[in-house]
Amino acid sequence: MSQPNSASAPQLITAEGQVIANDWQLLADEDAIGADGAYVLTFKRALADLPTLNGRYGVRIEPGDDVRELIPYLDKIALVEVSFPGYRDGRGYSTARILKQNLGFTGPIRAVGDVLRDQAHYMLRCGFTELLLKDADPEGVIAWIKSLYQYSYQSAADAHKPVWALRHAKTEA
Amino acid sequence: MYVYDHYDHAIVKQRNAEFSDQVRRRLSGEITEDQFKPLRLMNGVYLQLHAYMLRVAVPYGVLSSRQVRKFAHIARTYDRGFGHFTTRQNIQFNWIKLAEVPAILDELAEVEMHAIQTSGNCIRNTTTDQFAGAAKDEIDDPRPWAELIRQWSTFHPEYAFLPRKFKIAITGATEDRAAVRVHDIGLQLTERGFDVYAGGGLGRTPAVAPLIKSGLPGEKLLSYLEACLRVYNRYGRRDNSYKARIKILVAALGAEEYARQVEAEWNALDQDAIDAPYAEIARIKSFFPAPAYKAEAFDQAAFDRAKAADSRFARWVRNNTLAHRNDDHISLTISLKPIGGVPGDASDAQMDVMADLADDYAYGELRVSHEQNIILPHVHRNDLYTIYQKLDAAGLGEANVAQITDMIACPGLDYCSLANARSIPLAQDISRRFEDAQLSDTIGELKIKISGCINACGHHHVGHIGILGVDKQGVEFYQILLGGRADEKAALGAITGKGLSAEDVPAAIERVVKLYLELRTDPSERFIDTLGRLGRDTFKEALHEPA
Ligand code: SF4
Repeated sequence: MSQPNSASAPQLITAEGQVIANDWQLLADEDAIGADGAYVLTFKRALADLPTLNGRYGVRIEPGDDVRELIPYLDKIALVEVSFPGYRDGRGYSTARILKQNLGFTGPIRAVGDVLRDQAHYMLRCGFTELLLKDADPEGVIAWIKSLYQYSYQSAADAHKPVWALRHAKTEA
Repeated sequence: MYVYDHYDHAIVKQRNAEFSDQVRRRLSGEITEDQFKPLRLMNGVYLQLHAYMLRVAVPYGVLSSRQVRKFAHIARTYDRGFGHFTTRQNIQFNWIKLAEVPAILDELAEVEMHAIQTSGNCIRNTTTDQFAGAAKDEIDDPRPWAELIRQWSTFHPEYAFLPRKFKIAITGATEDRAAVRVHDIGLQLTERGFDVYAGGGLGRTPAVAPLIKSGLPGEKLLSYLEACLRVYNRYGRRDNSYKARIKILVAALGAEEYARQVEAEWNALDQDAIDAPYAEIARIKSFFPAPAYKAEAFDQAAFDRAKAADSRFARWVRNNTLAHRNDDHISLTISLKPIGGVPGDASDAQMDVMADLADDYAYGELRVSHEQNIILPHVHRNDLYTIYQKLDAAGLGEANVAQITDMIACPGLDYCSLANARSIPLAQDISRRFEDAQLSDTIGELKIKISGCINACGHHHVGHIGILGVDKQGVEFYQILLGGRADEKAALGAITGKGLSAEDVPAAIERVVKLYLELRTDPSERFIDTLGRLGRDTFKEALHEPA
């Protein structure tokens, strides 16, 4: 059960361990929105344009952005990308949990940027559903995490029950 | 003490498997030191000036004899025959080989120990009162709560990459022996639940934490902490590591505004999903019963005879023991501050001796204090003289607790790559200067704390006399602070005048002490009280002017 090797070409993988294609395109603030296609707006642009836009968009959230400002437009948001410019900046973990657990967002939440296998476990626990992972073997990473981390002490935004809940679960007859 | 169940074991095991793999990849050259650094730091492995250091967590400072024996074994087998107890109630092994770290971690796992979250910008080991469960002035036992926090904070996925490290301290007694108000979060147990203080700390910008909530019910502790951390994780500064601790955020927002944001976040959380149910709190509490006290009457006459016959023993009893809630028992502190020694160091043989004494006379239990001493919390008074003799024979009989030679000193330039100056040799020099037991007793309580740089691992801001190592164009200098204290009247010391050279510090302290002895109203007025009454300026001159 050895950890797979890392590489730099990022691939998109789901929490379930499937590599998927990325259909979304990040728009620079000055670029026009095309007729069709899936577009990711910057946070600033999303706040400015979503009130008048029809259709559904992706939004890119940077570490300093307050995800709660998106509350009025959640029904127009089809995907959220949470950016990790460096893996040491942990604000994105709170963003994902607030989005999923406080705002009830049910669409995909994607981690992008400096997303490494050593943080993947924490990201999945905080509610990320997709990781743009810098790793040559993203499937191996997810499988490795699932085999390694059976138990968690605390509840977060994933399906793991905290250990205290397992300890005090009513034993079935 | 707390005993792991199979979940606890599994969690440590999974972590060791992961880290062993990371070490293997580093040793085989698959990853570089740069890539490895954040990974090893997640597991308490530091690269110091001369070697790797492994910091092992001692959860809230509580140890079993078995664990201490394991430390002795590790010191003997993998290090140079000693371990160093730290101001975080942890132990460090200063001379280990990276290739042997996985083996050490497996050995530790056998005795329910690990090095998880002893470094990195995450929630660190929770510290508490070293006399928990024994002290007379205790309102509620902090240990079960510290264990609850330990579990909640271990691999907390949202708080593994905080702006900076995060330290929580709890006390359940009226006298604050855990220095809770100089921690990121300080918890004071009261009859009405927890009083929560946030934003204290030492380091470059020392601060005494303000109260942000009182009467928090214990069942809500975890969700409230979760909210405190979330506000910090989102809004703590990340542009400058010197301004990244929560104290800077709390000071910038103001305590009221920080508390308001925490409250709002707390109310938005699914508290029931986060807070462990009463049954779990009760389960954890059940691991901390009072010991089955030896039912033997205290033999006052024999005790008095021993004291009369052995004045060193009498002194040791006077200085190193604390009244216990069970009248036949007593709590005793084993000083790891022999005259001229390295504060906090213990040899493998000494650790074995302490473990044996714990087994034979102290219900198998030991504690580490943040003052870098070892405590036997429950000892029958009839056994004191035997214990003393055995300690003394092992070089552990120093009777200086809370006195001038019972100093805190960080590792400093002898080990630490961040240091500006040496701490240990200075502590040794001061110790030798106040070697005289009678003088030390006359002076009474006086706490000196030494840090080798502004990071303040030696807590110099809260020393009655604090000493801070600075570097002036490549020369080591020491700034002297006066008037700090870490107890329930927490206060920060202030720098008095210009820096002194290492050679001048002991004499300067001697002059200050002499002046104190002249000025105190009577022997019951402690140094810190005289200083409070007369002010720092009175003592400033003595520091800098030869008398
Ligand atoms: S205070 Fe400075 S020198 Fe001392 S251990 Fe901490 S970082 Fe190192």
